[in-house]
Amino acid sequence: MEQNRRPKTILETCGEEIIRIVTPVSICMLLVVILVSVLNGGSSLDDGLSFATMATMAYSESSSDSIWDKIKGALLNSLVFVAVVTVATFLLVLLFYLNCTKFLKYYMGFSSLLVLGFMGGEIALFLIKVSNFPIDCFTFAVALYNFTVVGVVAVFISKMAIFVTQAYLVVIGMLVAYWFTLLPEWTTWGLLVAMSLYDLAAVLLPGGPLRLLVELAMARDEDIPALVYEARPVISDAGLGDGVVRRRVWREGRGDLDEDQRLRSDLVSDSSLRTYGESEREINIVDAEEGRALGRDSELAAPLIQHINIRMNSLENAVSGENLALEGIGLGSSGAIKLGLGDFIFYSVLVGRAAMYDFMTVYACYLAVIAGLGITLMLLAFYQKALPALPFSVLLGVLFYLLTRLLLETFVVQCSINLLMF
Amino acid sequence: MDDDSRVPLSNLHAAGNLLPTTGEASSSTSRSVRTEWPTIDGPLGLSHEESLTYARRFFKLGFLCLPFLWAVSCFYFWPVLRNPRSQQSHPRLRRYLVGSAIGFFLFTTILSSWALTFAIGGERLFGHVWGELVMYNVAEKYGLAGWI
Repeated sequence: MEQNRRPKTILETCGEEIIRIVTPVSICMLLVVILVSVLNGGSSLDDGLSFATMATMAYSESSSDSIWDKIKGALLNSLVFVAVVTVATFLLVLLFYLNCTKFLKYYMGFSSLLVLGFMGGEIALFLIKVSNFPIDCFTFAVALYNFTVVGVVAVFISKMAIFVTQAYLVVIGMLVAYWFTLLPEWTTWGLLVAMSLYDLAAVLLPGGPLRLLVELAMARDEDIPALVYEARPVISDAGLGDGVVRRRVWREGRGDLDEDQRLRSDLVSDSSLRTYGESEREINIVDAEEGRALGRDSELAAPLIQHINIRMNSLENAVSGENLALEGIGLGSSGAIKLGLGDFIFYSVLVGRAAMYDFMTVYACYLAVIAGLGITLMLLAFYQKALPALPFSVLLGVLFYLLTRLLLETFVVQCSINLLMF
Repeated sequence: MDDDSRVPLSNLHAAGNLLPTTGEASSSTSRSVRTEWPTIDGPLGLSHEESLTYARRFFKLGFLCLPFLWAVSCFYFWPVLRNPRSQQSHPRLRRYLVGSAIGFFLFTTILSSWALTFAIGGERLFGHVWGELVMYNVAEKYGLAGWI
């Protein structure tokens, strides 16, 4: 049995975990880019798109305004949006504090019903119209009904197949992100920057709502009822020399973003990566036989990304045989990174908006977002507490978008025209 | 052989790991056979008792015109479905799964035959009714796609 004991390299453990979070983010972005290029193909929707939503309540952009007016309008819209999100997050904290978890769960189910049913249906209708797909209304109704109900079940039930739950969360993120890309351009960019600043403040400041939420959940040792993407934990092989495996679990207190109604009533954007710091209840057990030190940390709940260190074989469990059996099975404390759905949505909005200009900006923004995510994950491993996931990625993404659009594009186009490169 | 007893760790949350107890104190290297998990998620999935509850619930809910739920149920409990030896170890679970699979295939056959007839037959077969039934016309008539 010695051949089973080949220790996993750091590439396999850490790399596997990072890949398991980067892959769904990339898939969501890819789907939004595909949707944007298929449905908006060619014509820009910036002209006169004045549908009244929460995000454009303060100022409805039209293409005839001057640049300064657009900037002012975008700022105003973003401020209003961030204010609404703050109020909604505080409301969520209050409800969580008053133990209304059932209500929050039902609300989550309801909003995923709205997103999957109505938004999914509308986008499917757009696709059908664009492609002239000859589907009849009965089949369409049955298919949509199935898709929606199974999605709500997957979000509701905590023990559904991991793949199904993850797939549905990615789809929900994609649908909401597509909706956001329909906003006017300047408003979208202003919104992105404002949300990342809000995220930074809400997670790191002592009075921030997301930080309060995380601390509450930590103190009570329970889950935040919210839409969170949890990566499948990397399970280490049995009998590895290093008996300590970190389990990173983070919950995002992110409420679901829906269309107007939801935005109006209850917006929680916990698009923050948070990691919780370790609590004081760290118990170290030294296994005399095997010479391994095992510790047990409490679970840290942090919205967005949490780093929860749970090690098996806790002291409290008196049955040592059981402990050793668990240790023997080796399913131990492998962690799972959790990323809030808000992060998925705003990353995809950024890349989708970049896709509305050209694919060059898409590549640049994708790289920027992934780089930002990588930096955040590194900081997560380093600081071991809840971290906001938006700031690095979104600010890098916006920077890269501007640089590409202003500088890189001219260069590449000129080179291509003169058959020099590319 | 399957181990039906599961002891959940009192301090595990979130990913809901339920691990079997083997009753042995030795390390896993002395066990060459892992206990069989009923779900496709393996150790991260459900225990055997919970699987029965879930499979029954999915089977019954699927009768609400939800073949996709039956398909998801078959996917979720795939290890039980594909292993013919589970007829002895999980008879009731397997019965629900086979029922779900049969229901899914039946429903899908009926639905897809209708959909294909509609799509391929087109106006030649249906006449002007085709134009009234096809989805993009229905959407335009009722203004369904204009909410965004």
